[in-house]
Formats: sequence, structure tokens, C-alpha cells
Amino acid sequence: MVSWAEKYRPRSLDGILGNAKAVAELRAWARAWEEGRPEVKCLILYGPPGVGKTSAALALASEMDWDYIELNASDQRTAEIIKSIAGPASQVSTFSGRRRLVILDEADNLHGTYDRGGAAAILKVIKDATQPVVLIANEYYEIEKPLRDACRGVQFRSIRAQTIASLLREICRSEGIDCDPEAIMHIAEMSGGDLRSAINDLEAAARGLKRLRLEDIATSERDVKASIFKVLESIFKGESARSALEATYQLDESPEDLIHWIDENLPVVYSDRDLVKGFECLSRADIFLGRVRRRQNYTLWRYATFLMTGGVRAVSSRVRRGYTQFRPPSLWKRLGQTRKARSVRDSAARKIAAHCHVSTSYARSELLNFVGALLNSKKIGATVAASLGLNIDEIALLTGSAPSTKKVQRLFEDAQRMIEAEQIAMIDRGLKVEERKTESPEEQAAKETSKDMSQEKRQRSLFDF
Amino acid sequence: MNPTTLHAHSEGILIYRSGESVLGGVPIKEEIWIEKYRPTSLDEIVGQPEIVRRLKSYVATRNLPHLLFSGPPGVGKTAAAISIVREIFGENWRDNFIELNASDERGIDVVRTKVKDFARMAPLGGAEFKVIFLDEADALTSDAQSALRRTMERYSATCRFILSCNYSSKIIEPIQSRCAVYRFRALTPEAIEKRIRYIAEQEGVEVTEDGIEAINYVARGDMRKAINALQAAALISDKVDMNTVYQITSMARPEQIRNLIKLAISGDFAGARSELDDLLLVQGLSGQDVVVQIHREMLDLDVPDADKARMINRIGEIDFRITEGANERIQLEALIAYMALTGLSKSTAT
Ligand SMILES: Nc1ncnc2c1ncn2[C@@H]1O[C@H](COP(=O)(O)OP(=O)(O)O)[C@@H](O)[C@H]1O
Ligand SMILES: [Mg+2]
Repeated sequence: MVSWAEKYRPRSLDGILGNAKAVAELRAWARAWEEGRPEVKCLILYGPPGVGKTSAALALASEMDWDYIELNASDQRTAEIIKSIAGPASQVSTFSGRRRLVILDEADNLHGTYDRGGAAAILKVIKDATQPVVLIANEYYEIEKPLRDACRGVQFRSIRAQTIASLLREICRSEGIDCDPEAIMHIAEMSGGDLRSAINDLEAAARGLKRLRLEDIATSERDVKASIFKVLESIFKGESARSALEATYQLDESPEDLIHWIDENLPVVYSDRDLVKGFECLSRADIFLGRVRRRQNYTLWRYATFLMTGGVRAVSSRVRRGYTQFRPPSLWKRLGQTRKARSVRDSAARKIAAHCHVSTSYARSELLNFVGALLNSKKIGATVAASLGLNIDEIALLTGSAPSTKKVQRLFEDAQRMIEAEQIAMIDRGLKVEERKTESPEEQAAKETSKDMSQEKRQRSLFDF
Repeated sequence: MNPTTLHAHSEGILIYRSGESVLGGVPIKEEIWIEKYRPTSLDEIVGQPEIVRRLKSYVATRNLPHLLFSGPPGVGKTAAAISIVREIFGENWRDNFIELNASDERGIDVVRTKVKDFARMAPLGGAEFKVIFLDEADALTSDAQSALRRTMERYSATCRFILSCNYSSKIIEPIQSRCAVYRFRALTPEAIEKRIRYIAEQEGVEVTEDGIEAINYVARGDMRKAINALQAAALISDKVDMNTVYQITSMARPEQIRNLIKLAISGDFAGARSELDDLLLVQGLSGQDVVVQIHREMLDLDVPDADKARMINRIGEIDFRITEGANERIQLEALIAYMALTGLSKSTAT
């Protein structure tokens, strides 16, 4: 059974919604290829997930009647594979004499040493390509600068809810589902411009139904809450520890999720000593959850569940009545809100850790502020950014300024220039190594056995690290 | 040119064998002093004369046993590992050296795969063996260490391991017995002063007597902290004295931790938790970081000693639970709630 997202993937460029400008650029580029003189050999399609980048690339191939090969750059971890597959594919045309489009998906997910090689390998593929190449990425600036320079960027934007709704209606019609406009709009708006997730949500809610109403969606959300709230009622206000535990039997949530609901509402209901004891119970329940996580021994969940329900009920010094407005875990919302900041922080910490020979967690807790201070220095800021290879978001975070500020942009650009100058220096170094090889073997051997290391060390200068 | 080294600068593995450039390229300068002044030879390592002397004897024979370096952070463990490898292998030392951090790698399997990939190929340039430096080896569970031991055994013909850890007692006996163990000590104020004065002179920075004292106070025997303090202070002023040093150290984070503790003790659970979430979720500290910092603040806290003792006991318990895999946020919340007890007992007493 194909998912609807796959089933309704557009087959032609005309079917790509909401990104007319990008589609036009794709077409113009393809036409230039047909005429034999494309301005750039490679396009980078970038933008948020689920807005049709891969679909557009595939549709282009089919519209132009080209063959294509699709590689996931982040799966194929080594440079070797990219070279050995994408290389030939981008140089040799097919037996039929048709063109072949090389699609490299997730080109911004190249991290770490191996993938650094990956970026360089891709660059090489593009330089040598005689066939059209398309890179696909979420974050344009996560792609290495030299790679960006060798390509042209084509931006895909997230899609308006109205546009998404029109496609959802289309799908319902062809699936023979009678769908309330409010239900469609609700799904479209919840998707945040991600067409794929909207189609997935629609499928989850509507597959197998004749008619989809707003209530169906809303109640399924509401159902979950209703039963959770009942459990919370019996934990905080119920008869006994036993009834608190028993309330969970009806519940379709794992103790891993339930504990966060209780955690959120415990300080709403309990105070003073009850709060202390309540958290003591919860933290003991959590110990068992941790043991399950480590040893995959799910029988331990029963102790966790009792402690977080019956246990919390039992420590209450009095019976509570009245109405409480329970609320869902704020943790989840905050995790969502802070995800981006955390991932920027982590990637900055990883770069600093690798450079300074410490662990990522040490870098995260001890060196971020310090590096921030260095970056804020007029004299050395750009050099530090360059030697760490920081991107705009990381610089912004560490210096405490917005990514759009002149200061951050300038730092990034200056650093970028230094990195390029260094790459030239690396090529120099390549030449130097070549030259060295032209020395006579005896000379070389003499050098290798030379024990006078201190001499050599002085020569090797500060750049060594 | 080998494309895999194209962007190597951010990994810090560039080696310029010659200063000048043919095409006008310019290598990126190292401006972070802990790296700029990272020792490149054993002679540059200060304050560990006995260890340096013994390590040099390996250089003389050009052979190495497995080594285990234990000691607090910033005392030269990594520096010693790199220096000895450089001295044994000479200019192309990078070819036969790999550095891994056990606390960064996701599990022992990743460590093993990386070790295996590296160990499989014969040593380059006529070297007798390769060296694998595994930092923070005590971050591995004892099961993982047993697996590591087997890996060490399997590749012992071609590979030497240098393990480093904070506490050698956290390394399982079978590994210890296969290694020559070197215990690095926190550096003395004299050793730190020597290196700091050297760096200051190279950088044209003046450091006063009380500046050195302040740096030593902040660093507590940790050279990395000392050098960072010097560089941060030098950003503010060419003359580093007590004031500049304290100015930069107060910009570090304890403020927020102190506030968290204050809110917790006053019984404002919601306020304290919001600070906690900020530290964990926005600033990205680990639970353990927060525990350690709370503990550090505890000693200076204005509460009765009996309460202090109770709280520190609880902090230790929370620390242990987090190490054992409990959820850091829930455990820290329990700690915050517990700290309110001090406030509570005070108000019932009066
Ligand atoms: N004994 C020492 N002598 C000279 N410099 C040192 C010494 N210990 C640490 N350093 C400096 O501090 C930094 C951190 O040292 P490192 O060897 O990485 O510490 P660790 O013991 O944590 O591995 C190095 O870059 C070096 O500049
Ligand atoms: Mg180290």
C-alpha cells in the first residue's frame, strides 16, 4: 500500500504547488542543458522539508525525458561512494543517448570528517560533470562555501495553508471521501507549510472513512486529553493509591509520557512538604524508567507506574477537592521552541571540542562563553571564526547578536575569505609535497632518519595545531 | 591534493611544512591561546617533571607500552600524549595517530569501529606501530571497558593505546594492568606562573603580581583555565591585574545558578524550574553540569551547616542517579523541591 504522500506526488512540474519562481528557474536551466550550454552545471534546491524539492527534481527529469539517479548524500557516508557512483553517472550518458540527472539529496547533512571528504567529493563530481546535477538541502548555508559557489541556489518556500488545503481537497475527492472544509483547513493550518506532513495527517485521519468531519480530528486529540485528565484527577484527588494506579489501566500512554504529565501538574496541585515528597516519589519512579531504558527490561515499568501514581497520591497530607485546570507538559513545547537554538549550540560545541581537544560536553559548558568573547574581539574575531569553521548561526549564538546583524555577517564573510585563502595555501602545500618527492631518495632517507627533532620543531611553527 | 583534507582546518589538523605560499594562499592563524601554546614537545610541559622524564625514555627507545594517564582536567594529559607521539614519529606523526573522545562517541561500538578502521591499515612511513589516544576513557561503562580491553588485545601487534581519564579507579583492573599508569597532579601555582609568564611575554601582555595570583585562584591547578583567563583578561586590557581577572571570571555563569538556588530555597518552585529549563534547554548544559555548579555554590551559601550537609548529601544522590541513566530534569526538579525544605524548617522554627 503506497502512502498518499507517494501516491499524490506530482508527476510534472506543473503539479509543484506554490513555488512558481523556483519551477521557472528549473525549466530555464534544463532548457540551457538541452541547448548544450548551461551557465552552471548544478543547482541547489533548498528550503524547508516537505515543500516539493525532491518532487520537483524528479518531475523535471520526467518532463525533460531524462534518466535520473538519486543518491542520499548523508546515507552514502564516504567520499568513495559518491565518487564511484555519482562521478561516472554525471559524466557518461546512457546507451539511449539520453541525459541523466544526478540528484544528491540531503546535501547539507554532511558533517564530520568523513563527510568533509563527502563535500569535497561532491565538488569534484560537479567540476567534472557532463550531466546535470541537482543538490537538495534544507539549509543553504550549511552547504560548504566552495560547493555553493560552484552551483546556483534555487529557493523553495513553505506553502500557504490555502494552497495546501486545495490539494487536500483534491485528494479527498479522488479517494471518494466527503470532507468538511473546516477539517481540511484545520489540517492545512497545523502543518506549518509542510505539504508532506499535511498529506500524512490527512491520511491518518481519513483513510477508510467515508466522511471526515472537524469533530473527528478534534475528538481524537480531545480523547487523549480526556483520559489523561481522568488519571490526573485520581492521582491528585482520588480515593486512594490503588485507585490512582487503576486509573492508568485505561490509558494509552507509556509511563515515559505519563511522568511528564504528572511532573507538569504536581507543582500546580501540591505545595510545601507535599511537593517535596511528591517529587521524591516521581524521581524514584524515574530511576526505574532509567533502568528500563538501559536494560530494556520492561517489567520494571510496573514499579515506575505505581510510584508516579499511587506513590504520589499516598504522600499527600490531605484530601483535595475542587476543580483544577490540568495542563499538558510545558517541556514539550519548550523543547520544540528551543530545538533550533540547541542544535546550533551543539554544533558549535562540537567544532570547538574538535579544535581544542576536549569533549563536546566540556566545550558546551566551559568554552562557549569564552569563544564568544574571542569572537567579539575586533582583532581576532574573524580569525577565530575561520579556524573553527563556524557558520552564521553559530557566530550569532556565540556573540549574542542576531544572524542578520552587520557584525555577524561581516565576521562570517571575513572568516570565509580566510578559509578560501587557506584552501589556496593547501593547494600550495600539495605542490610543495610534490616538489619534495622530486628530491633524490637518499636525501629523503637522510631526512627521515634525522634525529635532530628540535631543529625541525622550531621550523614547524605555530600553525601546527 | 587529497580532497578529504580540504576543510580540515576546523578539525585542527593542518600542518604547514613551509611558511611561504606559491599561489598567495594564507594559512589561518591560531588565535586561541590554549591551542597556540599547546606544547609540541615534552620539554614544554611544565610541572610534571617525573612523568616527563619517564616518557622521554620511551622516545629514546622509539617504543611505547600502552599508557594510562589519569588526573584532573587541564594538567597536560592530552598535551603529553600528543608530544610523545610527535617526538616518536616526527613530522608525519598525524599519519599514525588518532584521537577519540569516549564521552563524545555514541557507545563502545562506535569507538571499536573507529579503532578497527584505523588499526586495520598498516602503520605509514615505516613506523612500527600506530597510536590511538582515547580521551575520557572513564566515561565508558565497565562493560564497555571490557569490550575495549578485547579490542586493545586484538590490535596490540600494530597499535598502542594511550587512555586518559580523571580517575584511574574508574578504569577496570584488566585495563590498568596492561598499561603503564601515570598520575598527573593538579599543577602548582609556580608551574602555572611559569607558563603564564612565558605566554604573556610572547603576546606582549603585562601581568602584575596580583594578576598571577588571581589567575591561580581561578584556575585551581588547571592550566587550560589559567590560559583562558589570561587571554580573556588580555582582551580587556594590555595590563592584566587582579581586577581584570576577576572582571572576566564574574561574567561566567554562576549568577544564574545562584539565582536558581535562591528561588528554590525561598520555595518559588515555578521560578526555579524556569531557570532550570533555561539552563538545560536554552543554554544546553547537561544535568551533570548543573549539579556540579549547584554543588560548587553550596559551600558559600548562607544557610546553617546542618542544612548544607543535608543538601550536599542529596546533590550527591542526584548526581549518582543521573550517571545511572535517570532523567536529569526530573531529578533536578526533585532537588529543587528538596531545597525548599531549608526555607520551610526556618519558617517553622521562627
Ligand atoms: N603541564 C603543562 N605544561 C604546559 N602546558 C600545559 C600543561 N598542562 C596543560 N597545559 C596547557 O593547557 C591546555 C590543556 O592541556 P591538556 O593537555 O589538553 O589538558 P588535559 O590534561 O585536560 O588533557 C594545553 O593546550 C596547554 O596549553
Ligand atoms: Mg584532555
